[in-house]
Amino acid sequence: MNRYPDGIVKEPPDWLSRRGLLDALLLRLKGASQRLSIVLLDMLAIGVLWILVSYIISWHAHGVIAYTLVPWWLFGLGVVEAAAIWESFGRSLGHLVARKELRPREGGESTLGQRLVYYIGWHVTVLPMIGLLASPPWHERLAGLSLRPVSMEGHKPAPWWRTSSGIYVAVFLVVGLAAAVSVTMDEESLTRLFTQAGRTVKFWKALFSPDRSIILPSIRDLLVTVFMAVMATAFAVVVAVPLSFLAARNLMRGPIGRSLYTVLRGTMSIMRSIEPIVWAIIFLVWVTARRAPFAGVLALWVHSIADLTKLYAERLESIDPGLVEAITATGASRLSVLRYAVVPQIINPYISFTLYRWDINIRMATVVGVVGGGGIGQRLFFYLKNLAWQQAGTVMILIVILVWAIDYLSSRLRAKLA
Amino acid sequence: MAKPYLVVENLTKVYERGQVVALRDLSFTVEKGEFLVVIGLSGSGKSTLLRCINRLIEPTKGKIWLDGTEITRLSPRQMRRMRRRIGMIFQHFNLIKRATVMTNVLTGRLGYNPTWRTLLGLFPKEDRELALKNLERVGLSDKAYVRADELSGGQQQRVGIARALMQEPELLLADEPVSALDPATSHSVMQYLEQMNKEDGVTVLASLHFLSLARRYGTRIIALKDGALVFDGPPEAIDDAKFKEIYGEEAEQVEIR
Amino acid sequence: MSSNQTATATPATRNFWNALRRRALSFFLDWLVWGYVAYGVMYLLNKYWWTVPLERFYSTLTLPSWGWPLAILGTLEMAVWSRNLGRSLGLRAFGYEIWGADGKPPTLSQRVTRALLWHLSVLPLGMGIWLSPERPWHDQGAGTVVQPAPATRLAGRRKAIFSQWGLMSLFLIGFTIWLGWLIIQIDIGILFRRGDEGMRIWREMLHPDFRYFAVPDPAFELRNLPYSILDMAVVTLFMALLATIMGAAVAFPLSFLGARNVMGFNPVGWLVYFAMRGFFNIFRSIDTMLWAVIFAVWVLWGRPLAGVLALTVHTVAALGKLYSEQVEGIDPGPVEAVVATGGSRIEVIKYAVLPQVTPAYWAFTLYRWDINVRMATVIALVGGGGIGDLLFYYKNQGDWPKVGAVVMVIVAIVWAMDYISGRLRERIT
Repeated sequence: MNRYPDGIVKEPPDWLSRRGLLDALLLRLKGASQRLSIVLLDMLAIGVLWILVSYIISWHAHGVIAYTLVPWWLFGLGVVEAAAIWESFGRSLGHLVARKELRPREGGESTLGQRLVYYIGWHVTVLPMIGLLASPPWHERLAGLSLRPVSMEGHKPAPWWRTSSGIYVAVFLVVGLAAAVSVTMDEESLTRLFTQAGRTVKFWKALFSPDRSIILPSIRDLLVTVFMAVMATAFAVVVAVPLSFLAARNLMRGPIGRSLYTVLRGTMSIMRSIEPIVWAIIFLVWVTARRAPFAGVLALWVHSIADLTKLYAERLESIDPGLVEAITATGASRLSVLRYAVVPQIINPYISFTLYRWDINIRMATVVGVVGGGGIGQRLFFYLKNLAWQQAGTVMILIVILVWAIDYLSSRLRAKLA
Repeated sequence: MAKPYLVVENLTKVYERGQVVALRDLSFTVEKGEFLVVIGLSGSGKSTLLRCINRLIEPTKGKIWLDGTEITRLSPRQMRRMRRRIGMIFQHFNLIKRATVMTNVLTGRLGYNPTWRTLLGLFPKEDRELALKNLERVGLSDKAYVRADELSGGQQQRVGIARALMQEPELLLADEPVSALDPATSHSVMQYLEQMNKEDGVTVLASLHFLSLARRYGTRIIALKDGALVFDGPPEAIDDAKFKEIYGEEAEQVEIR
Repeated sequence: MSSNQTATATPATRNFWNALRRRALSFFLDWLVWGYVAYGVMYLLNKYWWTVPLERFYSTLTLPSWGWPLAILGTLEMAVWSRNLGRSLGLRAFGYEIWGADGKPPTLSQRVTRALLWHLSVLPLGMGIWLSPERPWHDQGAGTVVQPAPATRLAGRRKAIFSQWGLMSLFLIGFTIWLGWLIIQIDIGILFRRGDEGMRIWREMLHPDFRYFAVPDPAFELRNLPYSILDMAVVTLFMALLATIMGAAVAFPLSFLGARNVMGFNPVGWLVYFAMRGFFNIFRSIDTMLWAVIFAVWVLWGRPLAGVLALTVHTVAALGKLYSEQVEGIDPGPVEAVVATGGSRIEVIKYAVLPQVTPAYWAFTLYRWDINVRMATVIALVGGGGIGDLLFYYKNQGDWPKVGAVVMVIVAIVWAMDYISGRLRERIT
């Protein structure tokens, strides 16, 4: 132990050590990135609104698709300036999302002059971005304002239609809806919607008078579809369970672990974003149309792995750390900790997710059949395209019964597990 | 002079790049067989201190010696060996909810059995007999095969004690063991700890909320405030002035009978 | 909440009928399991032994006329014997076991007697159960009783793997995998034999051709206007947005009509509730893609309107179900409070129900928007319009680099949508 008298040997000050410098720099970066994200969000919001408005105008007035109506540099300039003005003279969307507002450092209300100084100083600090690293940034310091978390004391908040962000959101919704309607609806189909309605009465009648002759073949197809879903789910579980341990943030620590986690999560995200139908098409070309059910199973398998890994890993990330602590405290090895502290907590949720995914796979298996993936979907699509409404109706009734039954079973089982 | 059993030297723990200081330069020693109670307000660092001792939390600075070994320098494998000798019980019991009491108690022997055995759940007969003996000791032998979450709070904490007993520990860390229990059950649980301390010679380090419990069961008390040590001495030495210093100006003594 | 069940039944008798129902279900589960085994056996027989002409792929469910009664009776017998000679899957699933009435485990002769007596008591239209429901004839005759299996007795028994239900479960899993393998005609070999082809496609897709990303592709036209990938992506996003907003707007009022605690106060209310729930279930069971085919034939094939309508219909059904489940799960306290002040039904909804369900409603709507974006990207296959049109157009031309480009754009859209929706939902809850 210490044999020297007290006070002789002192530690160097914190900020001078390498760790201290790194800490200080990271803190500054955190503050800078927060402000930057506010600015970027505002710019994005204004940019999107501009694009939507020009989209509508160009579509209706000129009949072409255009996104900005003005040259790009003017667009960029306009967006940046608008964002600056919004931020300086009001409470912008970025402020709202970050739950902060600009207030004078000494309290009270800000004056127009302060805000003007802030606006001008904004260009000097934010555009080159270096100025953001200072804490507080130069434009805030000059103007005497600072970005603070919102405080609710004193005044009651203004109703949404009097805040600039509220007005923005309302305008955005209206414009967005208008754009959506102009893009998706066109006269021809709309008129057909209403004129064909008479025809569809015959269609609905045919739909509900089943054709008995096709019931047995359809049930066979249904069984194939169910088997497709079962195989895809079963093999997906086998792969997803070990992958999920590698994709859980709290289990993957250290540089190797972290990079593996990032890569895995990213890949799974991408794989999830591609719908099974697209996978089915790719696999169909690969295994030829003769083995269509196999292609369908492969497509469902790939998508299920991605989805299940995500669900499993998210559940792993939210286990109770107390139990892990307790088992670690007895001196158990890593593997034993997993088996006794982690696994008991996740078995039921894992089974529940598997059932959920099985349910979805049954639905998707009916759809994958449409691309020739075999099963009942193929039969239904065939009937629909050939306008054989009676047969299509029969098949649809069978599908409804199947999906409803599986849905009911799966939710009962999951309720028992929870 | 024999070295004390547990020596803590300049223990410091900071979080969030230096923004939050949980433990400030703590130094104290514990003799073998003592019943040391750590008191202080919530957030004063009691849980962090206990967890640093068996390195569930890694200290930022400082050294800890246990029975002559500097445990802050041990490798993870050696630390696991060391943890076998340190039992721990928790405020929220931390049992495997859906498993039986027997399985929960058997996990106390995880450090003593090879991994292949524990992965398959094949604990040796001696371990099972020891489990039943320990369950009888805490008065739960008839609940051996009941699911852990079907027991009351006091019973669950007793299962936790039985689990700790399975390790045949030299040191027992108790992180607010009775905070989630009513007064009568608290006394019963504390008495088990006292029994372990007096009959088995286990050194106990317990963090408690209520000063009256600390006075009744502890042989020595240390008090933390904002992560720093503000008192280290026998329970009788805490008078009103010391009390206010530990708990703050507006605190009042509450008796738990 | 008023109870419309058998108000005259005391809790004891209600529990009793529940127990009987569970026992019956447990039997039917066993029967179903054996029926499935029989189905598998029949399939394998058809595949390997008998040749059934004209059934190229699906040699299932084909039996000679004497086969059906044999199957039904045979599986029934197997179910009865398996239940009595061990702890079958059905017994385990519902937590029962067959035990001696004297408290001791049943002997072999007791078990066999019970199985034989079963035929006398249950087959004649269940006489043995109706006439002596507490303890049916076959139980009385054999001196056994069917009871819930207590946990303490199970401790210390041999491992679950070796019990009948454990072995049966393992067998079923393996059997299913085998059967599925055959039915789907899984042929791993083809992946390698055509591996070059597969690799070629992948390679070409991973060298995407973004030529027509912002510049419209002259060969592809929608409504006499050339579209680029970006344009189609925008159309797709709008389709999803519109469908979600319209769907949520329609589902919102309907969800109250489908909630038991809002509707269940008079017979008309119950009818509306059942109708609404039935409507939600049925319309949900038909996948969006199938709706798209219907609408595509109705309005023109390939127009975004078809896709929007299909998405909207499915959204209404799905959101309606989610919303109404949420309404059913609220805390009844505030409802009581508002009713006590004399509020009307609408006021109860506005002041007691709405504040509790609003965050969940937003979360579900965002979740549904995410799903709708995914669906909108592929709904073009069935005539729903959107970026899928480009995808399938290029695929039909075998132009894989362009397919890769479209797929990457789809991934970018869906991933961004997923991320945004996830972050927003975190903020809400």
